[in-house]
Parts: sequence; C-alpha cells; structure tokens
Amino acid sequence: MKHPASLTTRLTLLFVLVSSAVLIGLAWVLHAAVERHFVEMDRGILQSKVEVLERLLSRPPAQEELPALQQSVDEMFRSDPGLQLFVETAGGNVLLSSTETAFPADRIRALAEGKTPSVISWQADESRYRGLVKRIEPELADIDSLIVTAAINIDHHDRFMDRYSRTLFVFIPIATVFSGLLGWWAARRGLSPLRLIQERAAAVTASQLSQRLPEDSVPRELTGLTHELNCMLDRLEEAFRRLSNFSSDLAHEMRTPVSNLLTQTQVVLSRSRSAAEYQEVLASSAEELDRLSRVISDMLFLAKAENGMSTPSTQELRLDEEIADLFEFYDALAEEEGVSLTSSGRAVVRGNRLMLRRALSNLLSNALRHSRPGGHVGVFIRDRDGTVELTVENEGAAIPAEELPRLFDRFYRGDPARSRDDTAGVGLGLAITQALIRAHSGTIRAESGKGVTRFVVELPRSAPMPAA
Amino acid sequence: MKVLIVEDESKTGQYLQQGLTEAGYTVDLSRDGVEGLHLALTEPYDLMLLDVMLPGMDGWQILETLRRGGRDMPILLLTAKDRVEDRVRGLDLGADDYLIKPFAFSELLARVRTLLRRGRGEPEPTTLQVADLELDLLGHRATRAGQRIDLTAKEFALLELFMRRKGEVLPRSLIASQVWDMNFDSDTNVVEVAVRRLRRKVDEPFDTRLIRTIRGMGYVMEAEPA
Repeated sequence: MKHPASLTTRLTLLFVLVSSAVLIGLAWVLHAAVERHFVEMDRGILQSKVEVLERLLSRPPAQEELPALQQSVDEMFRSDPGLQLFVETAGGNVLLSSTETAFPADRIRALAEGKTPSVISWQADESRYRGLVKRIEPELADIDSLIVTAAINIDHHDRFMDRYSRTLFVFIPIATVFSGLLGWWAARRGLSPLRLIQERAAAVTASQLSQRLPEDSVPRELTGLTHELNCMLDRLEEAFRRLSNFSSDLAHEMRTPVSNLLTQTQVVLSRSRSAAEYQEVLASSAEELDRLSRVISDMLFLAKAENGMSTPSTQELRLDEEIADLFEFYDALAEEEGVSLTSSGRAVVRGNRLMLRRALSNLLSNALRHSRPGGHVGVFIRDRDGTVELTVENEGAAIPAEELPRLFDRFYRGDPARSRDDTAGVGLGLAITQALIRAHSGTIRAESGKGVTRFVVELPRSAPMPAA
Repeated sequence: MKVLIVEDESKTGQYLQQGLTEAGYTVDLSRDGVEGLHLALTEPYDLMLLDVMLPGMDGWQILETLRRGGRDMPILLLTAKDRVEDRVRGLDLGADDYLIKPFAFSELLARVRTLLRRGRGEPEPTTLQVADLELDLLGHRATRAGQRIDLTAKEFALLELFMRRKGEVLPRSLIASQVWDMNFDSDTNVVEVAVRRLRRKVDEPFDTRLIRTIRGMGYVMEAEPA
C-alpha cells in the first residue's frame, strides 16, 4: 500500500490551494470593478460633451449665445485633448469628423437606433477609444435626425489595467508561496499535540503499561482519539495482566504435582522392586498425569476463551432438554450421594451446544459436590422478556458474601469444609463456565444464604451470534 | 494390521510404536515427512498416524499427496494445535480423525480400533456375547447365565459399548462421550459411579468378573481376566 501523504503536506497544499484561489478570485473582482469604474468615468465625461453638442445641433443658437457656446466648445477640447467628435445624418452623410481616426460608422449607426445614449468602444490606429452615441432630433423640420458620437482615447486605462495585471501576475505566485510557507508552519504548529502523543505513546512499554496519554492537554479534536487510545491501553494492560497471571497460576499449579511425580519416580527407581510395586506407582502416576493434562487443556481453553472465543456454530437449543440430558448423566452420581435432582420451566436459547452443555454440566457438578447429603439440587428456567434466566441451586453451607465474586476466579477453591468429598476439581470449572456464558453474551452470578447457594445464568433469549 | 506412524518427536514416536506393537499391530515409525510419505506410497498400510508438524514436509502436504494419489487408508492426525480451523482443514483434506496432544494412549488406541473397524465394514450384529453374558440388541434384553438382568437405558448403552469393544481399554472420556454424548472432560466421577452400578448388576451376583478397572487408563471388558 502506498503511504499516504503526511498531514503537514496535505494541510500545506490545501492552504496554498485555498489562498491562491482566494487571491485569483479577488484579483478578478477588482479587475472588473476598476474596469467598470473607468467606463462610468468615461461615460460621465462624454455625456457632458454630447450635451453641449446636442444643444448646438438641436436648434440654431441665438446671436447672443454664441460667445458662451464658443467658450464651452473650446473648453471641451482644452480639457480633453483626446476628445474626438463625429456627427453624421441618419442617412449616412458625415457632417463632422474631428480626426482621421476611423469611427466604426456601422456599429454607431446600429447603436443609434435606441433613444438613450449608448457606450461603445473600439480599436483604431493602435489606440482604443470609448465613445458615447446619441441620436438627436433637431427642432428644424427639414433636417434629418443626427447621430452624434463623442469619443475619447482610453489607452491610459488600458495601460493602467496592464500594469495592474502584471503586478498581480508577480504578486499572486509570491503570495501563494508565502502562504504555503505560512501554512506549513501553522500545520506543524497545529499538529504538535500529535508529537506529544507520540512521545507519550513511545514511553508505554510492557513494563510500564500504566502510562497514559494526556487527555487534558491536547486540543479538543484529539481528546476522542487519545481517549480511545487510553481505553485500548486499559484493555491491553488488563489482557497483559491476565496473561502474566495465567503464566504464574499455571506454573504454581503445575509445580506441586510435577515435583510429587518426580520424587515418587526417583524414590521408586532408587532400588529394585517387585512388578506389583512398579505397577502401582505407574498407575498412580498415570492418574496424576491425566489430571495434569486436563488442567493444561482447561487452562488453554480458558486462555482462548478470555481472549475472545469464537463459537464455531450455533443452533436453537431447548434448555430444558439439555438439562434433562445432563440429569441423565448425573443421575447415578446424585443417587449415590442421596441428592435429588429436579428441574422446572422451559426456554429456547441460541448457542453452541457443546459449549453450553459444558457450562451447565460444570454448574451441576458443582452443585452436586457442594450439596448437603440427602439434599436437593434444583434447576429453574424462566423466560422473561428478552432474557432467559437459569438458576442452579443446591442446599449446603452458605458461602460468605465477600467470597462470591471470587468463585469464578481461576484455581479458586472455596473453604474445603464446604465440599463434601475430596474429588474437588482443580478450581477451573466455574471460571470456564463464566467464560462460556460470556461467549454467549450472557452473565452469571452467585448468591448464597439461608443454607442455599444459587448460580444465576442470564442469556439473551435468541442470542445473536455470540460475540467473537 | 500394519500401522505407519509419522512423528518427529522421538519419545512420542517410540512410545506410540511400543504401545501399538503391544496392542498387536505391526508398526513402522518414520521421523520425517519425506520418508513417511515415501513409505505410505510404497508399502500397504491399514492405518496411518500422522503428526502435523514435521521436518521436510508437513502433515497437510502428506495428507493431500496421499489422497490425491488415491491412497484411502484411514489417517488419524496428531497435532498440538487445537484450533477449529485446523480441525476442519484436516478433515477437509481427507483425514479420518483428529487427536490433540496431549492425548491419553487409551484414547488413541480406542480411536485406532474404531477406524480399523470402520474400514472392515462388518455386518451389524443383533446379539453380543461375552462369556456367559448375552445382549439382545433388538429386544433390548441382557441375560447372564440364563438370568435376566434389569438395566436402565443408559446402563444398557454402557454395557453395549463394553461388549462391542471387548478387550479394549475404554477411557472415561470416551465412555462419557459415547454413552451420554458429553464431549468434554468432566472433573466428576460420574463414569466411575455408573460403572460401579453396572457391575453391581452384571458382575457381583456372578462368579467371574467381566468388567475390570485398569488404573490410570479406564475400563475393559474381558471374558477371562489375565
């Protein structure tokens, strides 16, 4: 996979892109505004000229008006040396053309159709002109209407616009580069909390899993991320702690039986014995080793379960039928112990048959083991909205409240006095049960009091695929 | 019956060979994959025990090559990997059974016998007999020395298992799985209790004992105790 561009690069590029777009847009708007301003300015100038001409042409001036008119015409040309005039009749006879510069007669005629004055610009003799065209109806009856055009040279405008464009052409790239640098600097500064997080994260090692990222001293946008990372660290720390507990539990559990086996074997080997003696020792070793290998597979099962077990396949299961099958299994044992087994209620859950059976089997064997002789083990299944509750209870000595949650710990064996026989397991049964129930999105808890101990399992009625 | 063991761990291989030889099989042991495959392709074997992790060529490859080469003897995979995917993969590639280390030798022997029996395709018997004990499978009746024995359904199933596999040591886990469909290790002595109760009905009223306990391994039904 291609490595994505760095955030700083992305932000810088974005900054450059945005700032150049803004600059170019602004330049364009300014350009248009200046251009419009020039047109308005020229129009104003030309309007006054055309008005003078209109006055001159619409009716013959009285004698006493002549000096004033003369003066205004003089002023007109004095104030605007580039001013050009063009007058023609509607029929196309040129009455006046102040310059040899070609006026675009056709376009002027076309524009003169309207009543209002129109602005027009054209190119002639390497100069640009802007003119105002107006149609005048003289008051004398026998004279045709006239088309009057006043024009000025607008080369100075063009030169200005040219200079303006050139300036922008240089300024915009420079400004873009500058804003890019600024953006780069801002991005680096803005992203500095990330480096802080990186430094803190680098400090988290196996031996210092308790280190956390600073959630308070990072910007708001990053608190979510750091929080999630911290939660991940919490989970990691928890898993790591479990793993190391697992190893030490295992070592501890293995040490005693292994050393017993070793001692026993060495003692037997120390001198020659009868075949019967050897047989006896080997048989006892086999029993012990069998137990050990069961502990190992149970531990591995638990380790897998605690790391999130995936249930291979699920099906609809009638809990009451599963309990009936298990009762059949435990029937003989219960009878020997004088314990009666009863169950009531029915419900359907979705789950893996082998796993649920194993969980329930552990609960039943636990109940049988701790039941008082001649006592009673009962299973109650209740289907409450959305949840199936299964209770396994036995009569027997109560368990102190503070010990109840610890019942599900690995290798936890309660007070040996409460157990009727010494066939007690290795203390993994309830831990395995809990793991199996959890794999089915269920919960399990223990209650005890008044001579009755109760394990309550709650399972979703039709559990979706148990969380992997 | 010829059995081939392909197992690189020398102690395991040696004990398996000894155990199976003493159980009456002719056993060849190979310690690496390439040699094992060669043997399996050239010699006729009735059964193969195949370790998955092997030097040279792993068990998966051997299994695949054998099945593609048309070898159809039962193959029992031995592995330390206990993952569902591995199990499925092994069975997909044509393995007949799958045993996870560490396993009890009695369990292995029981499975080997099952596989070999399956291959033989014997007709289903309707009655079973061990010494003077007789089991009528159709009529669901057990008699010993002409005397009718009353059994519960599960006791009958347990006795049937013992009689079908007479002479074989049956580990407790196998009994729990075959009779009660409890396919996991239980830390209770349910099987002991059940066997004890069965003995009370089948053995105790009579002169000779048919069900023997083999300490550390399981139970066996034999006509004449050795």
